[in-house]
Amino acid sequence: MVYIFQRLAFYALAAWVALTLNFFLPRLMPGDPATALVARLQGRLAPGALEALRETFGLTDAPLISQYFMYLSHVLRGDFGISVAYFPAPVSEVIGTGLIWTIFLAGTAVLISFAIGTLLGVMAAWWRGSWLDTILPPSLVFLGAFPYFWLAMLALYALGFTLGWFPLGHAYGDDLTPGFNWLFLSDVVRHGALPIGTVVLATLGGWLLSMRNTMVSILGSDYVNLARAKGLPPSRVVLRYAARNALLPSVTGFGMALGFVLGGSLLTEIVFSYPGQGYLLVQAVRNQDYPLMQGIFLVITLAVLGANWLVDIVYLWLDPRTRESGG
Amino acid sequence: MSGGAEKTTGIGIWVEAIRRDRKATIGAVILALFVLLAVVGPFVAEDPDELVGVPLQPPSMQHWLGTTGQGQDVLAQLLVGSRTSLLIGFSVGISVVLIGALIGVTAGYFGGRIDALLTLLFNVFLVIPGLPLAIIIAAYLPAGPFTIMFVLIVTGWAWNARVLRAQTLAQRKRDFVFASVVAGESSFRIVTREILPTMTSLLVSQVIGGTVYAIGAQVGLEYLGLGDVSAFTWGTNLYWAQNDSALLTGAWWTFVPTGICVALVGFGLTMLNSGFDEITNPRLGLERSWRAYLLSKGRKPQRSTPVVLEGTRD
Amino acid sequence: MTESLLTIRDFCVDYVTDEGRVRAIDDVSLDVKRGEILGIAGESGSGKTTLVQALLRILPPPAVISRGEIMFEGKDILALEEEELRAMRWGRISMVFQSAMDSLNPVVTIGEQIEDTFRAHNAKGGRDRAAELLDMVGIPGDRVDSYAHQLSGGMRQRVGIALALALEPSLVILDEPTTALDVIVEREILQEVRQLQRKLGFSVLFITHDLARMLQVSDRVAIFYAARLAEIGPTNELRSNARHPYTRGLLKAFPPIGSGTEARDAHSIPGSPPSLRNPPTGCRFHPRCDQARPECAAREPHQTTLSEGHKADCILTD
Repeated sequence: MVYIFQRLAFYALAAWVALTLNFFLPRLMPGDPATALVARLQGRLAPGALEALRETFGLTDAPLISQYFMYLSHVLRGDFGISVAYFPAPVSEVIGTGLIWTIFLAGTAVLISFAIGTLLGVMAAWWRGSWLDTILPPSLVFLGAFPYFWLAMLALYALGFTLGWFPLGHAYGDDLTPGFNWLFLSDVVRHGALPIGTVVLATLGGWLLSMRNTMVSILGSDYVNLARAKGLPPSRVVLRYAARNALLPSVTGFGMALGFVLGGSLLTEIVFSYPGQGYLLVQAVRNQDYPLMQGIFLVITLAVLGANWLVDIVYLWLDPRTRESGG
Repeated sequence: MSGGAEKTTGIGIWVEAIRRDRKATIGAVILALFVLLAVVGPFVAEDPDELVGVPLQPPSMQHWLGTTGQGQDVLAQLLVGSRTSLLIGFSVGISVVLIGALIGVTAGYFGGRIDALLTLLFNVFLVIPGLPLAIIIAAYLPAGPFTIMFVLIVTGWAWNARVLRAQTLAQRKRDFVFASVVAGESSFRIVTREILPTMTSLLVSQVIGGTVYAIGAQVGLEYLGLGDVSAFTWGTNLYWAQNDSALLTGAWWTFVPTGICVALVGFGLTMLNSGFDEITNPRLGLERSWRAYLLSKGRKPQRSTPVVLEGTRD
Repeated sequence: MTESLLTIRDFCVDYVTDEGRVRAIDDVSLDVKRGEILGIAGESGSGKTTLVQALLRILPPPAVISRGEIMFEGKDILALEEEELRAMRWGRISMVFQSAMDSLNPVVTIGEQIEDTFRAHNAKGGRDRAAELLDMVGIPGDRVDSYAHQLSGGMRQRVGIALALALEPSLVILDEPTTALDVIVEREILQEVRQLQRKLGFSVLFITHDLARMLQVSDRVAIFYAARLAEIGPTNELRSNARHPYTRGLLKAFPPIGSGTEARDAHSIPGSPPSLRNPPTGCRFHPRCDQARPECAAREPHQTTLSEGHKADCILTD
């Protein structure tokens, strides 16, 4: 249990680093873009809103340190300032609308990809020299070499635009109202199939290869050899002795890959005009909407840190050795 | 017997590893082609900026890859873009390994508080999602190749540091390193003469991996519009394709060739790396010659130790 | 004469590498009789572990068995099909691995790992039987739910022994079972094995590089050098009348326990074992032998029988 709290403390630290980076970045950068932005919006903003915007940037006359604490207290209250692109909506509100879609898209894609890729990796290691081991990995590596969003563009072009099998964008049809009913949920799946499918396809090879390589080295370990000496059926040797252990580094890798996959998934959202953070991110970049950009960065970071902590809990359950460390 | 097995050293080992592994050979050939393209291409290409014809023309004899939404030649943009894209890719690939080595080896070699601090640093950078961080940094900087390089280095070094720290820790325990420490050799000398040379293959494979990462991430950032949109790189090509609604007008030629180039380079690099894996992990190679031997004797590789009896003693 | 349980004849194992084949076991013949303890000694890399893993046919790639015959309880092990091999493993021949830490699955309880063998061989027994086995080797039965990392080195090795006895095999291989342990634990474990062996009547193949320890436990001893059998004979005969210079060197390096000379390794044999990729001509030991003559490099020695069951592979005994 100590382990879980140690990890929590670590993520809290990482969150603090992200917050602090967020605070200092605008202040370290040349040309002070914040001031420029405020100047650009001068006249278009109500005096009160201008003050609020200045405050998000911390551009008050207070000393840096008190600006910093003011910024922290704002963020802790969920106040990320006011969006420029969606003026005068607060950033927290803008982000809130799309967060669930981003988590749904990236989360589903990464779970499906991990499950299938890991399974294929076990099979490739077991049937060394079969097509699963010789042809499939390079093919998937080739697919994985394409930018996620490019695969998305191609899929959208071929399967959506040309063949018309899938909708061209958005998370669900415009004529539907969100709710827990079959019609809505099936529409979400239909809209999600291409973006999720392309991310899965692009990431499958990575999971396959890492699991296969760990399996190959574990299949040469003493405990696997002893399991074979015990006369266990091959399936049991592979699953309970080799794969069960090879899973551990893969799960660690899973935590680390989350942020990376999420990045690719954000770009995929853009291709499909999927109403998540990726779409907002483009709007923020195009409109130089720094408060929105920073808000998205923080929220995504927190989501990734939280997911990593969940992965740690799973790891704890998988590896009895962690259960006692420090406890 | 093992006649004529002279010991290959230095660069020879690498050439040999590439030649011996089919995947690595394919990777090296693909990569060489693209390097050639990046060096020569921009000289032979037309002016990528020039409006040469009607916008969104499909591929023809005149414009092999068609024209863009503005009426520029797609092939010319692809060729000119390859140089910048590969250059950024390799520079970032090398830089992240250098920084990773500096931090990882320092942490692993000195241990103690330095190690604790540096380990915490790269672990934090590992869990903070890279793309969003890269975006918020890049958004504040002037658009262009140097900004892209900078943000990719900032968000990309941590993984290398982590791997190299672990490797240094393992090397640190080796007898010959310990002996040098006892003999009072300087830390710098021990690190550069005794620890780093044992990691050559790992470093090379990291540079390759780093380059794959850099090319992919670079294309992503530029696609978002964070590059210099008036310059020509593979990423900005895709940015313009998206902006000109290439998809909804059916102009596949404005994005398909670029994506294939990005993928081929990434694929070539990854294949090359898998050949080098054998230098680091000899087990993979051993099993291959074993498999080939069994097949040559008309046997299928099996799970139990195979029996291939020979008639007489050789 | 007692009947043979295991007969190995002209046995060769090769490792297939890119640069050709390397012979890791070269023309070895030996027997294990019912109820005896046969010790196999030799430096690391001499082929001891290769031999016993090949016996179970679990030697991983790139190994290939290239010559010879292994008869065990009337069956030709080299001719067995995959399923027959599976039944023979553990049911008839079991093994205690060199490193107890690395040979237990770290994420499965030790009880489960014992029960796995029952299940795989359709043998009766469950958690209770697993606890009983642990009890037999001196571990409290309630440790069945422990994981390997929760046990001390000595306990782990005892688990390895309990595991090996789970299906009451007729041959138990002990592959350097005590290398990682301190002297007291080592002695306890070896006594334990000896007692169990007398009680249950299985044969033992005991591998170690510590000749002194081996002379204490074994009925007969075989000495390996560079993939070949250098000398084999009854323990007493070898102790007093070793004929191969290598055996004599080992005896000096590991003076019998209790002989007063506790300075181990004081007389270790100069030089190091040869590379199997490119072994010396003639007798493989000649570059390190203090009695080497010119003809030692020129011709290979052939095995000479010196007395009942005592054979040596040395020109000097011809």
